[in-house]
Amino acid sequence: MSSIPHDHAAAHGEGPDGHAHHPTGIMRWITTTNHKDIGTMYLWFSFTMFIVGGCMALTIRAELFQPGLQVVNPEFFNSMTTLHGLIMVFGALMPGAVGFANWMIPMQIGAPDMAFARMNNWSFWLLPPAAILLVGSLFVPGGAAAAGWTMYPPLTIQAGMGMDFTIFAVHIMGASSIMGSINIITTILNLRAPGMTLMKMPLFCWTWLITAYLLIAVMPVLAGAVTMLLTDRHFGTTFFNAAGGGDPVLFQHVFWFFGHPEVYIIILPAFGIVSEIIPTFSRKPLFGYASMVYAVAAIAILSFIVWAHHMFTTGLPTAGILFYMYATMLIAIPTGVKVFNWLATMWKGSLTFEAPMLFAIGFLFLFTLGGFTGLVCAIQPIDVQIQDTYYVVAHFHYVMVAGTLFAFFGGTYYWLPKWCGRMYDAKLAEAHFWLSFVFFNVTFFPMHFLGLAGMPRRVPDYAQQFADWNMVASIGSFGFGFTQLLFFYIVVKAIRSGAKAPAKPWEGATTLEWTVPSPAPYHTFETPPFVK
Amino acid sequence: MDTTTPPKPDDARRQRSANLRTALVFASIAVVFFVGIITTKWMGGPTIGIGVMGVAVLVFLVFAIGRNVRK
Ligand SMILES: [Cu+2]
Repeated sequence: MSSIPHDHAAAHGEGPDGHAHHPTGIMRWITTTNHKDIGTMYLWFSFTMFIVGGCMALTIRAELFQPGLQVVNPEFFNSMTTLHGLIMVFGALMPGAVGFANWMIPMQIGAPDMAFARMNNWSFWLLPPAAILLVGSLFVPGGAAAAGWTMYPPLTIQAGMGMDFTIFAVHIMGASSIMGSINIITTILNLRAPGMTLMKMPLFCWTWLITAYLLIAVMPVLAGAVTMLLTDRHFGTTFFNAAGGGDPVLFQHVFWFFGHPEVYIIILPAFGIVSEIIPTFSRKPLFGYASMVYAVAAIAILSFIVWAHHMFTTGLPTAGILFYMYATMLIAIPTGVKVFNWLATMWKGSLTFEAPMLFAIGFLFLFTLGGFTGLVCAIQPIDVQIQDTYYVVAHFHYVMVAGTLFAFFGGTYYWLPKWCGRMYDAKLAEAHFWLSFVFFNVTFFPMHFLGLAGMPRRVPDYAQQFADWNMVASIGSFGFGFTQLLFFYIVVKAIRSGAKAPAKPWEGATTLEWTVPSPAPYHTFETPPFVK
Repeated sequence: MDTTTPPKPDDARRQRSANLRTALVFASIAVVFFVGIITTKWMGGPTIGIGVMGVAVLVFLVFAIGRNVRK
């Protein structure tokens, strides 16, 4: 096992000490091949997109504050729901996870950098053009894509050129994800420090390894799906165009073959982060490490055979319905293994409740609730009633926001001292948690009631009987949105004037990243550590 | 935790080609999925499509798991 500092130094034009001649200013960020710089850029990009997508969510909630049309016209409203979904999934959550991966994976496995440092730079810099295409499509004739983030034909075959922008953006972001995944897989498989066997890796690395496998398998399928949309739109093919003998439902099959594993692509790295935080603040090793690894693998494998649970109302054969229903329910088993292992890790631990732990426990409560409503949706006779209602919206926001986003907040508070070498204001961070926790539930819990009462999703107007809970949800959403400005303030304040952080601010932490100083030096583990 | 001897340039070269091999394997998997999904849709009905993609997924899983088991 070796490290590769020599050719890196050559590739950077660095001096023999490996530290001289860094470009400074903006050129540092454009040309950097350093995993920490690139991780930082991914995280800031993710936060920016989170704010952009969040503003779109608030536009949606402002319109839905009261019945009737007050704020935006219906076409623009549809663009908002579409772009909110695309931007949050591809712009905020996925790049956020890649940011954590870039920063932490090399440091957790004792590698000097990612395996392909220059491709890493390229993966990141593909993202801003894609984001510009997505947001810029709002300004083209016909407006942005408005058929939902799922891009179902026939609407997307008929839509204006905003759809082409969206298709290209998806292509670019897909290419970025695939390159990032190849990089992560190669790094984990080939660059681990001596003694760091796969089954000794921190669980965050395991969850990302499996996530990267998923990405390699399903991002090309999404790219294929939108490529076929593109040729249907412009080059006379009829893959999905019923007028020419194509089948619109076929698109749904292809899309959800990507779309369901995508859910796990978003949640597995969050599982990894939580699996780092809970043992640290319980001062106990993770309970059932091996079973956690196998559970993640089982979830990933099962995710390939459940996609049509998104299509229970498209007229599947009965045998198909039963298969997809039971296969989906099977996923509850490995997921349950993980939840019980986290609980068992905390059991009789000497717990403390710093901000990372608060977010991890918030994750545990709310993600489990979101997983449970997923099981409700998986029961086909019930799904026929609630599909395309606000119940589904409530379900996946419990998974995406209280699941992944809470884990990202927890991960940020956990590793921020390592990233910037400074501590944040702990009291404010705890306030950030409690405000987020309360406003999140004020926003999304009522959506269960709305959905059960039959309110459809993706509508700018609704019947009078839904008014009260919509008003509550809208108030909660603005509270949640403004709370995130507090997060921004906490992070900036820490970076600019936080107290100096020790190498290991959390006494219970055991992984390799805590053996290097805070902030982590520009180059770490150029000589690999030996792991016993 | 202690440190090992500094790596030799030869190791670096071997490391790089091992990385490249891994990357090419996974890039080719991605290409198979991308081209596969389009050609199976091009060729015809959902049965062929699901069949071909199902086999691709199986081979991929066997490969992905098998590789890690070996290490
Ligand atoms: Cu699904």
